Amino acid sequence: MTTTDFNSDVGGRRSWLLGVAAFFGPVLFILVPICLFLSYSFFSVEQGAIVYTPSLGNYIRFFADPIFVPIFWRTCLLCLAVAAVCVLLAFPVAYFLTTLRGRWRYVLLVLLLVPLLMSYVIKIYAVRSILGGNGLLNRTLIGVGIIDEPSMLFVFNLNAVLLTLTVLLIPFAVLPIFLSLERIPQSLRQASADLGASGTQTFWRITLPLSLPGAVSAASFVFVLAIGDFLTPQMVGGQSGFTFGRIIYSQFGTAFNWPFGAALSVILVAVVLVAIGIAGRFGRHKGTF
Amino acid sequence: MCAADRTSTALLIALTILVFILLYGPLMVPIISSFFTINRGAVDWSQPTTSAYAALLRNESVLDALRTTLIVGAGAVILSLVIGAALALYYVSPAAKGREFLQFLIFVPFLMPPIITGLALLIFFREVAIDRSIATIVIGHTVFVLALVYRTILTRLQSLPPSLVEASYDLGATGWQTFRRILLPNLSSALVGAAILAFALSFDETMITLLVTGTQSTLPVRLWAMMRLGFTPDINALVALILVFTTALCLLAVRFLVRSDTVLSGQA
Repeated sequence: MTTTDFNSDVGGRRSWLLGVAAFFGPVLFILVPICLFLSYSFFSVEQGAIVYTPSLGNYIRFFADPIFVPIFWRTCLLCLAVAAVCVLLAFPVAYFLTTLRGRWRYVLLVLLLVPLLMSYVIKIYAVRSILGGNGLLNRTLIGVGIIDEPSMLFVFNLNAVLLTLTVLLIPFAVLPIFLSLERIPQSLRQASADLGASGTQTFWRITLPLSLPGAVSAASFVFVLAIGDFLTPQMVGGQSGFTFGRIIYSQFGTAFNWPFGAALSVILVAVVLVAIGIAGRFGRHKGTF
Repeated sequence: MCAADRTSTALLIALTILVFILLYGPLMVPIISSFFTINRGAVDWSQPTTSAYAALLRNESVLDALRTTLIVGAGAVILSLVIGAALALYYVSPAAKGREFLQFLIFVPFLMPPIITGLALLIFFREVAIDRSIATIVIGHTVFVLALVYRTILTRLQSLPPSLVEASYDLGATGWQTFRRILLPNLSSALVGAAILAFALSFDETMITLLVTGTQSTLPVRLWAMMRLGFTPDINALVALILVFTTALCLLAVRFLVRSDTVLSGQA
């Protein structure tokens, strides 16, 4: 496949074959699975076998059942909260990095990004080891004397999921915000100072508005990654921390209802597309600086 | 105003330190406690030991998972490099048809949550009657890392002056000779960097693997199963080893890619 011919005047037959070869893999292993997955969402299951008669049954079940819609909204809210906390923490850090001169700026940036490439499962495990009833967080708080008994605030519930996802996803928020802050020309800030604005005024009137596209795409990044995750809620969520991702995963495991799981996933994809769309819109309107 | 500036700088530094503690603090716990034994749920700090590491070397299921992970990683790296390079070359070739659609397809598994990619492949394997095995994990990982490998190679290809290839043809080289003598040497550092990144991603991939695996388990999947049982010294030792290994791998990848400036654009 690597013997691609670079002559532009190759025969029509040859270039046609090349096109087929190029499309073969992506179509077979990406497009076909996605189409199958979409059509599965209209099938159903009877006695452990898939019934290939299309219907809207799965989608009707999702909206009619009193269980799924509340969990869906709760998961969306949770992931919005994760996105908000990540951006609120990442923005000052990214801003601080841009105030640094020379190589320190990039050394710190790389150090902030290194955790991205560390094992996801390990990071969840590490955070969990701190959170548990007998974990480091509780023992420290008791040791310092802030609380007398282990606090259950962050043990196997949605708060624990929120905290863990935030720790996991902060690096994804730092990068886009840093890039958008770095893209603001120094001359704009200087002009603002020349016109008599204070540092605070320059920040609120110039820097913040121009970095908003970065903040929005950071938030949507984090949101998309958080809503698709089923490992974190499974590991630290316990019984009460049931999320949409976990329900989808269970349809392919214990519940064995693949078509219903596929329908729930289609809904997940729709939410993800909305989030990506919002980021794309903001990025194009204001980010082209 | 100066006092206000100083306060806000102090605040920024404090927040940055907090974020670093959040990112690195939790990781220190398993690493440090891997050198101690655990008695009745509490860490025994009296005596450091490497017994947990010795026990790992005797743990057949962990060694087996390690073997699977390495095979899957090697398979995914080779496949994604060959396919990624071919697709990048196709994208820049003037005769290419539908290249934007093709590129869109390549990016889909990277943009969608991994659970979607995993489920789509799971359903696909069932419908075409492919039994889940180590081969299906390799396919899953290849689909997942392809976008990154493709993007890295394409960025480097597009940064090469077109005159290089034109000069080669003018001097009478064939397409294969041009690829072998001109393009490959110029692409080599991007290929190595992409290979390392792809291996690192494959090494850690858990969500897709959980869905498309049969009875085989890779290291993260094995870890996942072990972790549900609790906090033990051998998990901590394994965690420490994997952290050291993947960090080294990533720093290596950065070294190869940093000049082509594709590290950041490749991830975003």
